[in-house]
Amino acid sequence: MLPLSLLNAAQNKPMLVELKNGETLNGHLVNCDNFMNITLREVYQTSAEGERFWKLKECYVRGSTIKYLRVPDQLLDEVQLEQFHAREMQRGGRGGQRGGRGAPQRATFLGRGGGSGGGGGGRGMGPVRGGRARGRGRGM
Amino acid sequence: MASLNGYINQRVLLILQDGRCIVGTLVGLDNRADIVLSNSVERVYSPDEPVEEVPLGLYLVKGDMILLVGELDTEVDDATDLSQQRAEPLAPIRYGHE
Amino acid sequence: MLIFSVFKTLTDQVVTVELKNDLCITGTLKSVDQFLNIRLDKISVVDPERYPHMMAVKNCFIRGSVVRYVQIPATAVDTQLLEDATRREHASTHKR
Repeated sequence: MLPLSLLNAAQNKPMLVELKNGETLNGHLVNCDNFMNITLREVYQTSAEGERFWKLKECYVRGSTIKYLRVPDQLLDEVQLEQFHAREMQRGGRGGQRGGRGAPQRATFLGRGGGSGGGGGGRGMGPVRGGRARGRGRGM
Repeated sequence: MASLNGYINQRVLLILQDGRCIVGTLVGLDNRADIVLSNSVERVYSPDEPVEEVPLGLYLVKGDMILLVGELDTEVDDATDLSQQRAEPLAPIRYGHE
Repeated sequence: MLIFSVFKTLTDQVVTVELKNDLCITGTLKSVDQFLNIRLDKISVVDPERYPHMMAVKNCFIRGSVVRYVQIPATAVDTQLLEDATRREHASTHKR
């Protein structure tokens, strides 16, 4: 599993970040990017010696200054479960192509036209996982 | 990559640039060698006292902090009596000169 | 790239890697990559009494950026060849 996927899944979760200069930041993850730059909210900052403390409403940390992050243990299970489900969905999608209206898996649900009244498509679906839209409003 | 892929889901010993020793199960990594360890534990060595094991849980370490990743031979490790080990903590890396 | 190529020819040789934190590890060079990260097998630490930390470790991955030296067997590299290759590479990259 990619470290960045774990981090992305940690949005809104509490974490501890230690910087290369020894300071620690305890707060909730707001956002992160591919460089592991992060923004935290409700942050308790501690100096490297552990003597001085600050409370910050929000802060931005440059990824290159991070030593490590500690995140809640249950996050690992959550991410692995999600990845497992995502894989299952993909596999299920491919199976549902029988009697093909010839609709390609990855097509959007709009313009599938035919048959049962545009089925589950075109109603602001969210992740287009493809395949299942025989359109009986079977939403995912 | 001189690959770390062979270590996935194994117990590994991480030595960090600040001299820390962390033991954990390697569950994730990327091409910058950022690492995710689960069930991790820091081993704090001291010349006068037994090794202290501090549980850390789920740990994401930046690749640029990593010195070394060692594959832990769990049989040998389990047989090792940490309470008997005495050693100086590892030196941190210092760049430039003081 | 040149030193990377040199290391590639050294796989399966026994080398000693000295790290910037003074730790020295001897082992068989299994692989190397473009960052000069090194994989060593069958390792032994040079001063095991001072460094019991790695007693249970038989093989490891070492980040290239923390290596100070790699001690290689004297006969492992043809220094004349290396010298020539270095001059050629220098000539081609400085051809301005």
